[in-house]
Amino acid sequence: MNDQVLIDKINEGLKDKVVAITNPAPRRLFLKVTADNLLTVVGWLKHELGITHLSTISGLDLGQSFELLYHFANNCCVLTLRTEIPREQPVLPSICEIIPGAILYERELQDMFGITVQNIPDSRPLLLPDDWPAGNYPLRKDWKYERPPEVIPGGKS
Amino acid sequence: MLQKLTQWSRLKSPWILHLNTGACNACDIEVVAALTPRFDVERFGILLEGTPRHADVIICTGPATRQMKDRLIRVYEQTPDPKFVMAVGACAMSGCVYRGAYNIIGGIDQLIPVDVYVPGCPIRPDALIEGVVKLLDKIKKGTK
Repeated sequence: MNDQVLIDKINEGLKDKVVAITNPAPRRLFLKVTADNLLTVVGWLKHELGITHLSTISGLDLGQSFELLYHFANNCCVLTLRTEIPREQPVLPSICEIIPGAILYERELQDMFGITVQNIPDSRPLLLPDDWPAGNYPLRKDWKYERPPEVIPGGKS
Repeated sequence: MLQKLTQWSRLKSPWILHLNTGACNACDIEVVAALTPRFDVERFGILLEGTPRHADVIICTGPATRQMKDRLIRVYEQTPDPKFVMAVGACAMSGCVYRGAYNIIGGIDQLIPVDVYVPGCPIRPDALIEGVVKLLDKIKKGTK
């Protein structure tokens, strides 16, 4: 199975579910989907093409919106689903029903971007410290961090 | 008399606790290299201990992370007096490349008093041994 065969299969099977397919380099596929269709597309990829290996989910702060990239690796290419959600209402469906291993990445998204993942089996914070103040999301571009002043022992500088 | 004896035994055989407060593991590997036969610090009586309650010297590797803050202070409090702290590696001294990151407080000295700093990224086992020797000198002279 090469890129073109895969594109044809996706075009045939998903039709209006996928907004755009790009193939910028050999063995690299980008599928643009809306957040509503995400579950359908992931389910279809798993059941029809057997693409089950989710490498990671990366998040991107575009200013007005967040872009989430779901990177699926399989034996012929790296297939990336890109989906955009608005910044004012960052809500995303959980894909844990289809791919249980996604929970770590989804919890990280909640920590780092403040995205609410719906129907997540376990929504505890994952990476940030226990005493982390609520409402601070380190990977958002508008988040500023002020380093606490350092004390030099002995009073020297 | 008893005090002299404990002082003598402390100098002849300092027991160390190796504590990773958020290091990248490079310093930890070098600490282990110092303990194993190639450098073999045990010939100087330096013994690795598994618990802070038995240790004299805490060897801290890595910057103090925000998550580690309470735990580090707790380990320090659990160590019986007199206790000594060595900050091992550039991160433990100042935070190094992690300095200014949102989850890093800074060097170990931001949280607990440090007696000896050992620079290096990662430290060499010789540097660690030198650091322990300097610490023992300090204890002997009574400056600490």
